[in-house]
Amino acid sequence: MNEVANEMVNDVQVVMRTYERPVLLARALASVRGQTRQRLALTVVNNGGEPGIVDAVVAASGMRGVSVLHLPARMGMEAASNAALATSESECFAIHDDDDSWHPRFLESAVAALSGRPDASAVVTGVVRVHETMTGVRVWPVREEHVPLDEGCLTFRGMIGHNPFPPIAALFRRRVLRDVGAFDESLPVLGDWEFNLRAVTVGPFVFIPDVLARYHTRTPESDVGTANSITAGVDLHRSTKRLLQDRWLAEPPVNGVNKGELSVQAEAALEAEETRLRVEASSQAEIERRVAEIAAQRGLLRRIGGVIANPSRGVLAVRRRLGR
Amino acid sequence: MSESAAALLDAHPRVRVVTVDFFDTLVTRKWAQPTHVFADMERVLVAVDPSRHGFAAARVGAEHRARVRAAADDPHRDVTLAEIHLELSQMLNLDLDERHRLAAMERALEVASARPGGLGVEVAEEARRRGLRVVVVSDNYMPSVHLVDMARAAGLEWLEASDIFVSCEHGGQKHNGRLWRTVISSLGVRGSRILHLGDDPRADDAVPAGMGVRTHLVPHLRTSHRHARNTAPSVLPLSRIEADLRDAGVTDRAEVLGRGAIAMVVASQVHHGLAEARNRGAHDVHFAARDGHLAHGLWTRLRERDPSMPRASYTSFSRSVVWRAMLERLDADNVHRFVGDDEVLTPERLGHRVGCALVGAEPGVALGAGAAREILVANADAVLAAARTLRSRFLTHLRRRGLLDDGLHLVVDLGWTASTVADLADLVAHETGGRSRIEGLFTGLYWDATPNRTRLGMRGVAMDEFAPLDDNLRLLGIVKYMEALVTAPHGSVVDFDGDGTPIGAETEPERRAWDTVVGRVASAATESAWQMLTGSHPSGVRAGDLDGSAVWAAIMQVAHTPTPAEVEMLSVVHHVTDIDHEGEGRPMVAPPPAWRTHITDAEFLVIHDSLIRRHWLRGSMSAWRNRGDSDWMVDEIERMWPHTHPVWVHGGVPR
Repeated sequence: MNEVANEMVNDVQVVMRTYERPVLLARALASVRGQTRQRLALTVVNNGGEPGIVDAVVAASGMRGVSVLHLPARMGMEAASNAALATSESECFAIHDDDDSWHPRFLESAVAALSGRPDASAVVTGVVRVHETMTGVRVWPVREEHVPLDEGCLTFRGMIGHNPFPPIAALFRRRVLRDVGAFDESLPVLGDWEFNLRAVTVGPFVFIPDVLARYHTRTPESDVGTANSITAGVDLHRSTKRLLQDRWLAEPPVNGVNKGELSVQAEAALEAEETRLRVEASSQAEIERRVAEIAAQRGLLRRIGGVIANPSRGVLAVRRRLGR
Repeated sequence: MSESAAALLDAHPRVRVVTVDFFDTLVTRKWAQPTHVFADMERVLVAVDPSRHGFAAARVGAEHRARVRAAADDPHRDVTLAEIHLELSQMLNLDLDERHRLAAMERALEVASARPGGLGVEVAEEARRRGLRVVVVSDNYMPSVHLVDMARAAGLEWLEASDIFVSCEHGGQKHNGRLWRTVISSLGVRGSRILHLGDDPRADDAVPAGMGVRTHLVPHLRTSHRHARNTAPSVLPLSRIEADLRDAGVTDRAEVLGRGAIAMVVASQVHHGLAEARNRGAHDVHFAARDGHLAHGLWTRLRERDPSMPRASYTSFSRSVVWRAMLERLDADNVHRFVGDDEVLTPERLGHRVGCALVGAEPGVALGAGAAREILVANADAVLAAARTLRSRFLTHLRRRGLLDDGLHLVVDLGWTASTVADLADLVAHETGGRSRIEGLFTGLYWDATPNRTRLGMRGVAMDEFAPLDDNLRLLGIVKYMEALVTAPHGSVVDFDGDGTPIGAETEPERRAWDTVVGRVASAATESAWQMLTGSHPSGVRAGDLDGSAVWAAIMQVAHTPTPAEVEMLSVVHHVTDIDHEGEGRPMVAPPPAWRTHITDAEFLVIHDSLIRRHWLRGSMSAWRNRGDSDWMVDEIERMWPHTHPVWVHGGVPR
């Protein structure tokens, strides 16, 4: 146990970025309202959307003390985060986008973990990706996907090839902003990844394996306006990643290692691994299809066997068929 | 001494040795089933180390793995506690000290939970008084010295290790007969001179009887067992209650359901209602008819003791009443609300449904959904006029209940999408110019609640849409069950008289269900919930134990993993879901599809959809499982939709 483990983190600012998604915003507000730790300051950043709608949803949530920051025009996600973060001096902060959600114990657990590790820059919990469909005001989950994470994923080398976790899974110590600077407002996407790579250089990321965060993405069947940056802007992610890697390649090496080279190599290794897994999965799918065929055949044989063992069942079946 | 113990021994005068099964016969534990001791371990472990979430499920899994490994070595022998904890240490990466500590903790909690086992003890002690030898025969992984410790903790000082045959020490089990052969040969008497008392139909009856042993089965002691893998700290409150009822000899399943899970739901409505009202600064609390009937009665009694509690009302509103009261237009876009797609109605019933006589249809002639909707649209002016007068009477009711007073009002309801309460909130806010506001407290919510959050501040106690997808689906599968059992002795409100008094739709199926089952459940639930709320429950369970995860666990235990006896008892219950609350309703336990050799995946989709939306999902599947000709359908459904599998405890974090 660390000797300064009793240092308690007191203030938490939760930044919620939103843009004209009132139903999802209402759900996100309920996610924060449901936290077992209620010592928090919530800042909703209305990123250029209609103010009246946001105000009405916040009022309907029944939450008290919510700060709403109406930005006059839509700006980048990172600029919206920075604008909200500038309004608080809390000891730590979390970015809770308007379409994501937390387990009720997220803040309680994350704050406790951060309190126990004064050296840490951030705490990251287990997270599940929820694929959901949204049409009109209805939104329903279609499937869930475990996001593979472990302590190794949260190191500099674990993150340099790709961003292993979405913002909803993290709680940051505010001093990181002072030490490495704010979110990069020039980036249209991947600002969280770029920030994480700077943040981890000034303190480790602590991992809580419990699944306490839910990262929601809309399926292609959903209404266009509900999409995530990641599902709607795959090309933008790719091109921004290249720009970032080029930027890093131009930077001088640190301890003989260039950040850009490391990122390109890690990404290549990741893609190779994903290709291997895809090949394995397709072989596995073929095996499963065959097993299902055999199981279906055995099911029929079992029922025939059942009729032989219990002829009354067969008589019953014939009688039912005749009766139809 | 019980007469039955003496009578049992009198009936077997040639017996020289009495053998007794140990667990759930000679000694019971304060939990409803053996695996719940692991849940108690997890509760203790997590308090100091949160990473121990899921320990109980791992311990159950370790035993299974140890048994598989042992069976590969010798299919007849039993495993030992040491073998199980070796598996556990591999699964959880424990060092030697931790392994030994956990094994010692398990033994200590087992001893601490031991209680004398009723008839088993009476027979054993009466046999000893008569000079007969008493021997324990048990299938278990615990050594005989541990069973002695448990027996002594339960007050049975006379039991010695030399009186115990336990499977893990003799290389064979009662189930496969090998332990019985050892027992008979060691005792040196013929089987016919042995009387055995136990609770397992095979190990304690069929197998020994086949060897000539006289047997007496006491099966009711294991009626509290449910699925072993559903073991987590959240199940403990219900487990303690069900164990208490088992040990008290309560076998009436209506009473067990009522005193257990249903009482926990009702008590949680009161307990969380009070906490939420105080936390939110609510002016008063409104229990929604009909599922707030029992909770409202308890609140009223509690407030007599503690006048500082906010006022509470029993407020009558239903989906149909709120829809009609808020109706401002009726056309092809919204007429479907009043007639379901598969309904066939007479014009008279249709008119009753919308509160006015309809013209243009031949009296007494049944109308399909399309024709019924056309008639309604053709009579839109009359329907809207009736809606306006209903709105006036409904507002009178709400005014009398205090819901139009200025301030915040908390509405307590079972669930499940909050759409009716959100509509009510809109109506009240509109009528009072926003001076009266409503928030909702629901036992359970699923994903269709999300859009209503833009209109209503609300919270789900046991469940909400933030839970995993499978839990959302499991909630859908138990909606009919909860609505049928957490209810009132009167019908749903369909109208109000001039002074705002609600008028209910009394239906024969619901009256029948109340008289045969539901009324007994309600009566037992009321008494048990009162004991929890006042800290006098015999099990020791108190309102403070009823957090969201405990309530969810209780619901899952009874509604997702019901016992066959519970399913049989509830098979008589029909659930009336029609918009006008008339008709015969649908059976909660669905009849299986006609027997066939093949059902396509598309047909299974329809079957699954029907089970989850119209019936009690797991009750129906359990009934089908017990029929020889439909069990394969259950296998297929469980394979296709994992949420339908009996195991509802997952390795994740409890809510």
